[in-house]
Amino acid sequence: MDQSPDEDVAAAFSGGQPDALALVYERFGPLVYSIALRSLGVRSDAEDVTQQAFVSAWRSRDTFDRRRGTLGGWLVTITRNKVADALRERQRDGRVLLHVAGGVAVAAPQTPSDRVVDKIVLADELARLPESQRLVMVLAFYSDLTHKKIAHVLGLPLGTVKSHIRRGLQRLRSRLEADGVAH
Amino acid sequence: MSHTDPEILALRALGETAGSAGDAEHAGTCPRCRAELARLTEVVRLARDKGAGERLETPPSQVWDRIAATAGADPVRVPVSPAAAAANGTSAPAVPRIRPRRGLRPGRPRRRLATGLAGLAAGLIIGIAGTAGIVQLTQAPATRVVAQIALSPLPQFPQWQDAAGTAVMRATARQQLMVVTLHAPRQPGFYEVWLLARDGVSMISLGDLNAGHTGTFVIPPGTDLHNYSRIDISLQPFDGSTQHSKSSVVRGSLPAAALGSGTASPH
Repeated sequence: MDQSPDEDVAAAFSGGQPDALALVYERFGPLVYSIALRSLGVRSDAEDVTQQAFVSAWRSRDTFDRRRGTLGGWLVTITRNKVADALRERQRDGRVLLHVAGGVAVAAPQTPSDRVVDKIVLADELARLPESQRLVMVLAFYSDLTHKKIAHVLGLPLGTVKSHIRRGLQRLRSRLEADGVAH
Repeated sequence: MSHTDPEILALRALGETAGSAGDAEHAGTCPRCRAELARLTEVVRLARDKGAGERLETPPSQVWDRIAATAGADPVRVPVSPAAAAANGTSAPAVPRIRPRRGLRPGRPRRRLATGLAGLAAGLIIGIAGTAGIVQLTQAPATRVVAQIALSPLPQFPQWQDAAGTAVMRATARQQLMVVTLHAPRQPGFYEVWLLARDGVSMISLGDLNAGHTGTFVIPPGTDLHNYSRIDISLQPFDGSTQHSKSSVVRGSLPAAALGSGTASPH
């Protein structure tokens, strides 16, 4: 049940429905943009890569095979390729600039690390958890509270908190295995 | 001995000392439970990693405008066939997406996007401040498409034969925007976007395109679009001059629909 909204989006996308690109963008825009932004560091470059990734995905949607992987994982791969292209271009421009400027230091481009991509995929899935479960997971990850204190703070039964934590962690793990890069 | 309770494994992955000494011993020796604990621990480690990447950011609204303008120019208007609709579990007459197109293509997805955001976590930003998780919802301002204008090369500039561009004019409650995309080769210099007056002499510079040959510009409030009714993109040399280089790459005219909107109004 957790995955069904994403599968609906993937079905609309591979079916080429006119509104599918908007649906895919609604669902995965922040994921693609965040990976680009963390990898490139410059907003305008991240916007360009986001545009390129979605336009490219739309044009080559015939090559997306739902049986072989998730739409999210496919988009992550396209995004990483576009980021790599942008870094190469930047390096080339940087070299030209270096030549023109007579040797001013140019920052070395960073490669998009697998870990950064995985962390953004994780943040994306965390944001999609139901409200109360997300709050439990955020407190479990980022506060010093034990699950008993979390139950107390949120006024939830202990069993509910434990169940939220177990299901939440497993759901995050499944998403990482499907869409992440460093398994 | 039975396997460790999955809830106890999850709590141990978070660093809590949950369960009995027997649970701890089992989780340390049983290959299955040890592997499961390792998988969950890795998720926790990734989530708690303080480095870059933990925040999800929503792209600014002009990114979608550009995607819609670029992808919308493709011959991709594939109506849903009855077979495809059936495969998706809906009967053909119930598919509401094949109604006659009203207005311009990028308009509909945009409206979907604005309304869809409320129900989606797309705009969620989870920040970490001390021990509290901060949840913030951002929503794109409502814009509507006023006009979509094709930009074409001029016969007197054969060197730009293969260039093409689009300008999507959008209006929010407070301002009018021009989202411009150019397809032209990379050249020494930069591309600049102008509004040309009817006299062919007066012009307003909207700004420069970025390295991806795109740009979003605010039309100066009060601009008389009846007079400044043409959009022009020039290739400008790096010579320090603020004047139009007289090398026009592409040009297009605002349609009548765009001229009446001196003051922008929402929906």
